[in-house]
Amino acid sequence: MTNEVANAVTNIVEVVMPHFEGYAYPNEATQQPLWSVLIVLYPYITGLVAGAFIMASLVRVFNVKALEPVYRLSLLTAFAFLLCAPLPLLFHLGHPERCYEVMMTPHLTSPMAIFGFVYAWYLMAVLLLELWFDYRRDFVVWSETTPGFQGLLYRLFTVGVMDESDEAAQLDHKYGHILSIVGIPSAFLLHGYVGFIFGSVKANPWWGNVLMPIIFIMSAMVSGIALCVFNYMVLTWIRRKKVDMRCLDVMGMYLFYALVLDAAIEALDWIHRIYSAEEGFQVMQYMAREKLFYTLSLGQVTCGTLIPLILLGLLQLIRRRVPELQRRRMYFASAMLILIGVLAMRWNVVIGGQLFSKSLRGIMGYKMEFAGLEGWLMGGVLLCLPFVILTVMVKLFLSERLPTDGHVPHRD
Amino acid sequence: MRRLFIMPPQLFRIFLLAVGIVAAYLIARYFLTPPSFGEYGGWYRGAALAELATRDRVYAGKKACEECHGDEYAKLTKHEHKSLACESCHGPGEAHGIDPRKDNIDRSSYAACIRCHEANPSRPKWHKQIVSKNHYTGSKCTECHLPHSPSEVP
Repeated sequence: MTNEVANAVTNIVEVVMPHFEGYAYPNEATQQPLWSVLIVLYPYITGLVAGAFIMASLVRVFNVKALEPVYRLSLLTAFAFLLCAPLPLLFHLGHPERCYEVMMTPHLTSPMAIFGFVYAWYLMAVLLLELWFDYRRDFVVWSETTPGFQGLLYRLFTVGVMDESDEAAQLDHKYGHILSIVGIPSAFLLHGYVGFIFGSVKANPWWGNVLMPIIFIMSAMVSGIALCVFNYMVLTWIRRKKVDMRCLDVMGMYLFYALVLDAAIEALDWIHRIYSAEEGFQVMQYMAREKLFYTLSLGQVTCGTLIPLILLGLLQLIRRRVPELQRRRMYFASAMLILIGVLAMRWNVVIGGQLFSKSLRGIMGYKMEFAGLEGWLMGGVLLCLPFVILTVMVKLFLSERLPTDGHVPHRD
Repeated sequence: MRRLFIMPPQLFRIFLLAVGIVAAYLIARYFLTPPSFGEYGGWYRGAALAELATRDRVYAGKKACEECHGDEYAKLTKHEHKSLACESCHGPGEAHGIDPRKDNIDRSSYAACIRCHEANPSRPKWHKQIVSKNHYTGSKCTECHLPHSPSEVP
């Protein structure tokens, strides 16, 4: 009885019965797919990190001057999301009291375990260091001018290097540049690796595909740039400042090109699948038509790809004839649609790949619970958490009250 | 300040910090790695096996049922369902074995029958199958069939 009450309180769906159509193997007769919505969030958040970092690299490595206002914002975005990237995995494992053990026992015998090294390299050796070299001189200045706890924090972040000279700043810049160059392949590695984890599963025709890492990298770039557009516009709106239209136009341009590449590669993947029509193609066709219709045809293809392609493509052609307000709205709408579309893409890969039986002749079901360990609520919290962290970081490191020479938004 | 290596101060501090982090990690690893990790060669805690073994038993096994339900047991082992465990249809019975009451064992129902006997093309032909919706509209299979001795007529 207590169990039933607990179920009724925590889940709107009280008891989820296994649901099948066609032929499924007995060991697939679980109530839910083993990889739930949390495993959908893991590649989504990791992709946002890689994309936001590549956005920042455009300024540092490729010297795109117009994007300078969003350089630090993109880096901080990547950092905030990277901190949350392994959380869905840890939550999915359960046993929070043992969460540190996975970090204490690293090894090289499974793809998931190697992700730990990739993650640690990217966080500690690339992103944190690049941020530190970019901020180091500012930390020194701010630690001298800011009173109280915040000043103490800046003081701590200087790690005791109080050199404010131009030579030291030049060195910082040089090291930051080197780290950026190292960072681009690292960002590709980070998300390509996530794609590889799925692409290496030979038994699953939806996943086992050599194009998977490339598809993941491309969609990561698209979603990361879209996230930067979203964050920049929201931050400007909150600060009641004027959007730098040159910066936004250039971001829109890169977003468009990345989206064209992403759409082309995903289309190639599908053309290849449709033409070769290998074993398992029928079940994938059925999935696309029935089970995943809303997330694939509507979410991923229509909302996430076609509409933004048309909106951003139009802006590339007739940008000068569109008034600023309309342009801003179009960029914002495109960014939002792409963010939803890429989330739908991750859903299609992770959940879609588990919804059909290994017999290739049966279909299972997935019904998300509301407040359970891996339900709507937990998914929502995990998606909001990086934004909360980012807000704190923006207050600490992008505040308008702090003087800086760095690339920050709204500097006249 | 003279240093052994000529290194810009920011690089030197970061280097020191990195060494500190690695050292802290190694110390943490020394103390926090579960003691039985890798005990049997694999990448898991050896103690996990003992932990699993301490869990309460939920299944009692066929022999435990025989102690009190000898008649049913004799019928079951003579007929078509002889390869089935009692607990396949009646659910886990350890609690019932320790404290035999009517409310701590599953009386079994229609669901247990159609789990195997609902028509499904993937099942072998010799296996008796029905489409439960057409076969009988009531809810009790046992009105016509004897689950412990299916070939007998009630």
